[in-house]
Amino acid sequence: MIQLKDVSYVRLGSPDLESAEHFATACLGLQIAGRGKKDLYLRSDARAHTLCYSEGDPRDQTVGFEVGDEASLQDAASTLEQLGHAVHAGSAQEAERRKVKAFIGFRDPTGNHVELVVRPERSGQRYFASRDAGITGFSHIGLNSTDPRRDERFWTQVCNARVSDRIGDIPLMRVNAIHHTIALVRAPKAGIQHINHQVETSDDVLRSYYFLNERRVPIVFGPGRHPTSGARFLYFKGPDGMVFEYSVGVDEVEDEATHRPRQFGFEPTSFCMWGSKPAGMALPKS
Amino acid sequence: MNNGSATPLIASVCYVRVAVSEPNASARFVSDIFGLQRVADQDGEIAFRSDSRFRTVSLGRDSADGASIGIEVWDDKALEQIGGRLRELGFAVKEATTSECQRRYVQSALLTEDASGNRIDLVVRPTQSGRRYFPTRDAGIVAFHGVGLRTTDSNRDLAFWKALGAEVSDWVGDIAYLRIDGLHHRVALYPSTRNGLLYAAFEVEALDQVMQNSYFMQESQIKIVQGPGREAASRQIFLHVEGPDGLIFSYVNGMAELGEKPRLARQFPLTATSLCDWGSESKDVPELSARD
Repeated sequence: MIQLKDVSYVRLGSPDLESAEHFATACLGLQIAGRGKKDLYLRSDARAHTLCYSEGDPRDQTVGFEVGDEASLQDAASTLEQLGHAVHAGSAQEAERRKVKAFIGFRDPTGNHVELVVRPERSGQRYFASRDAGITGFSHIGLNSTDPRRDERFWTQVCNARVSDRIGDIPLMRVNAIHHTIALVRAPKAGIQHINHQVETSDDVLRSYYFLNERRVPIVFGPGRHPTSGARFLYFKGPDGMVFEYSVGVDEVEDEATHRPRQFGFEPTSFCMWGSKPAGMALPKS
Repeated sequence: MNNGSATPLIASVCYVRVAVSEPNASARFVSDIFGLQRVADQDGEIAFRSDSRFRTVSLGRDSADGASIGIEVWDDKALEQIGGRLRELGFAVKEATTSECQRRYVQSALLTEDASGNRIDLVVRPTQSGRRYFPTRDAGIVAFHGVGLRTTDSNRDLAFWKALGAEVSDWVGDIAYLRIDGLHHRVALYPSTRNGLLYAAFEVEALDQVMQNSYFMQESQIKIVQGPGREAASRQIFLHVEGPDGLIFSYVNGMAELGEKPRLARQFPLTATSLCDWGSESKDVPELSARD
């Protein structure tokens, strides 16, 4: 079984790095970690980078997960190949671009581009945000799925993900104590549905709501509260239509051995217990 | 606040009596929309509960004795003491008649006015209820919390409230937050061109209920005057909503507890960030707006 330790980074293609940089610093509030020839690296916590904009097609979206060591990486590669997934072994140059020691790339059953990485770089210098959004770190992603039941099997049986809760057929899955690191979302094609950063307090969620509204950043859902994880949230749209989320107060699963996933009905109150309705962001269809 | 004595002079803000043009229309807002429990209808006054007290809000027609704020006084001795102090300061103080006391659901009272002309009832033994509070909808209201009052004469009004034993916790411009118990404030005085109740505030369980009520009001097409927001000085989360006749009712939660120790009042500038830390603004109510 592939042992995912944590989500590590997201790489997004963008035709306009300048707009992406403006949004990431002036609106989202990340710190510029550095620039490559065609790459913009952004920090959100103690890691050297957690988001990378790369000049290119916005449909190129990759999520990286950390695995324990190079032996686990080799095991993962053979597991995936046995199951018929084409596995790309990252070159030294490609690994350097990702600030990791080694990695492999493959596609999940829906076709999402996933990378497994070993020893992603940390930074000795503490995180210092470009605006006071209160970000404490990159935390999870929403991942498109053309068949949530099939993909749940992939993430929970081939990988070590566990279902924390379900809304209809949509599983919220954890790879560590945090309620969820991967949320599958039914969609017609592959892609990252949203990128989550945690913030310090619910004050930060509300402050950003008014801040982003004033700057005419489209708020697509919230401020609200998920009854599943307990998190207070705000979803808004960035460059190339990518949705970003701030949230705070994601529960931790206390007892790994005895936790049973709860089933929530597929209805608006299962997504927000405060009563906010998504606008300009499709709720996943059951 | 106790001025050296073992007990304070006043204990709480215990009710608001509001004069409106259409009591029945306003009553529907207060019970069906805002979420208080309608309990009685006596002498043309409709009474509502928000907690263990028999009533904390009354709606009546605009008449001579139609509107007032109830301040619960510790006992008759304290009532006498406050009455003496106010008379010394030149405020008119009148002993309430039996029928005036009945209409207020209290045992004894002094009826007075601050310098702006806000009618204040100083009351002893307001009526409690033996039955628990059971509202019409799940707005999460826990208790009547306090009031915002308009003032046209803030210096004289401050002297009035200090005679009752209140202290200024903080200033935002010339807005004065007044403390009468361990909480940051129960009464706030807002400089204005007129007198009257600015808002009546009701504490809810948590941030969840402030936000739920915010979406409920949007869906019910009720005007949100300001919020959801958070007062910088008191740390209180608030949502001000408007019913018929411009009546503003507020859901609040999370006010700072200061305790009994003396504390120097802090001065905040009259800016939007002092009135709301999150960034909400009031467009139409000048008393709640920064004038910068």
